[in-house]
Amino acid sequence: MKRLLLVALLLLPGAARGHEIGTTQVRLAMQRDGTWSALITTGPQALANKLEVKTRQPRSSDLDAAALRARLEQLIDPLAEEIDVRFDGAASPARAAIDTLELPPDITLPSFVVLRATGAIPPQAHTVTWRYRLAYATYSLTFTASDQGSPLTLWLEGDAATEPLSVAVSATPPTRLEIVWQYLQLGFLHIIPEGLDHILFVLGIFLLTTKLRPILIQVTAFTVAHSITLGLTMYGIVSLSPRIVEPMISLSIVYVAVENIVTATLTPWRPALVFAFGLLHGMGFADVLRELGLPRNEFIPALVSFNVGIELAQLTVIAAAYLSVAMWWRDKPWYRARIVIPGSALIAAIGLLWTVQRIAGF
Amino acid sequence: MPSAAAARLAAPALLTVAALATMGPARAHDFWIEPSTFHPAAGTTVTIGLRAGQNFVGDPVPRFERGIERFVVRQDGSEQPVVGIENVDPAGFLQARGGSTAVIAYASTGAPIELPAAQFEDYLRQVGLEPIIELRARRGERAKPGRERFYRYAKALLTGERTSAAVTQPVGLAYEIVPDTDPTDPAAPQNILRGRVLYANKPLAGALVEAYLYSDPSVHFATRSDAGGAFAFALPRAGIWLVKSVHMARASIFSSADWESFWASLTFELPAARPPPGAQDPR
Repeated sequence: MKRLLLVALLLLPGAARGHEIGTTQVRLAMQRDGTWSALITTGPQALANKLEVKTRQPRSSDLDAAALRARLEQLIDPLAEEIDVRFDGAASPARAAIDTLELPPDITLPSFVVLRATGAIPPQAHTVTWRYRLAYATYSLTFTASDQGSPLTLWLEGDAATEPLSVAVSATPPTRLEIVWQYLQLGFLHIIPEGLDHILFVLGIFLLTTKLRPILIQVTAFTVAHSITLGLTMYGIVSLSPRIVEPMISLSIVYVAVENIVTATLTPWRPALVFAFGLLHGMGFADVLRELGLPRNEFIPALVSFNVGIELAQLTVIAAAYLSVAMWWRDKPWYRARIVIPGSALIAAIGLLWTVQRIAGF
Repeated sequence: MPSAAAARLAAPALLTVAALATMGPARAHDFWIEPSTFHPAAGTTVTIGLRAGQNFVGDPVPRFERGIERFVVRQDGSEQPVVGIENVDPAGFLQARGGSTAVIAYASTGAPIELPAAQFEDYLRQVGLEPIIELRARRGERAKPGRERFYRYAKALLTGERTSAAVTQPVGLAYEIVPDTDPTDPAAPQNILRGRVLYANKPLAGALVEAYLYSDPSVHFATRSDAGGAFAFALPRAGIWLVKSVHMARASIFSSADWESFWASLTFELPAARPPPGAQDPR
């Protein structure tokens, strides 16, 4: 699961929920000759100013390309000290040099400097971490392991360090099939066992009647509705605060359970209400999925498979309830009095408790 | 209106904290406008850089249209958009008219951020939002991560040939620092900057307002706004200054965040003080 979350976050720049994305980019590579190299592309004047402040020197400004290069060369040692590369926790001192400096005479065009930092990889090193202490904004780090496999792109918040990365073996990007399978599992696991509120809602739908058709009508309405809002919310088309959605989901559980106590037939308004409740549950699913992140290049397969996972979990809940209860006792005269009403009352009480907790908690 | 309050503030404010800028681990990043020059000649092109960082040291932020609510310049009585190229730093450029002081204003559309509880409280302390920590405690939320949506409201003044009343008027940002007089005026008293902080166009009391000197960010002053939203600083040196303040409010029930933070900043160049009339040139 952790690996899945990591992969999801790595693939999705939008998942870097932090400060503004700046102009810095870093390419870090482990070489087969036992060295590492980093190409840091960044704004040259801002870099010079950061180092000047760090070394308590006057800030420069309005320098031409030659003067700025000279200034940065003077500051190259303090710069190298801010590049923190560690192998299995031990620092590998960096040497730095200016690779390229572009300072167009037209001030409306972007200027940049490319710095090359290098260092040694200790023998038998397993993992490496990267930290660039001169960054404030969010930036991208592209990492290539020594097997020269597929590069991995990470989004780092300012001067944060990466998690340990394998020196020798590239992180293989997951295939579409793997992503589909992983998000299918996530969708399923979000209901069973993590989504007790959704389980109770589905049980509420199930307990209304032992007839198949009313159950199918309700499940279909619920599925269509939550699929709509899950998709629309993930695309940013609709949005509603969890402070509204979560108590409303609890209330929806109370409603279906109380109606089960009042009536044993499918009222004309029940499918419409279940549909409306499904819209809310879909937003709740979207909140979870947003936290997990969706891979940008496999957005739709991941979204659809997450939803399918939810459906499979719902059907599993209904199947389990049928096999454990209804199949044996649905024709008994006491089924409603001993199963449906107490079960629904319990579900309603739990739903009511959650409603109060969620309102008070928010 | 705020001048009396500011005058009352002035004396203690002159003695406000002057401390070395701390390069601590907290991750509250300020946001400000850094033009290519603060005193452009008429007709010259000025690039408008956006910066995110701490203690007036930061990273360039490229233009990102979807993140911009408003990016304008007010000069010589009219307002124009600040144009620029997507995903490029500098984020905008404009043609300076050079007449009266120009006001550049930037507002972001807001972005979500979530911080672990301890880190969130560190940052709240860093920007002077201790009342929010207390509020979270009263609501039993201290263990919860801080889910907020942050908005940037940056302004910069470009010195012109004459001062402008527009400098002392709000430009309509949700959270805004408004000077009482044009601080770029070389004829104005140079050692005190007085102003107001306005939230939703109303004075905000108790806001931490800080000032940093560009040439030496270790020169740092801090004060709190009074009941009328007024603040005052002694700015001991000519040069480029950043004045900034952060406000936070509970997000509306329709927001997906719990809190909304509003980051106001004002950058300008304080001219060297003119010798008082009758004073002799020491040379």
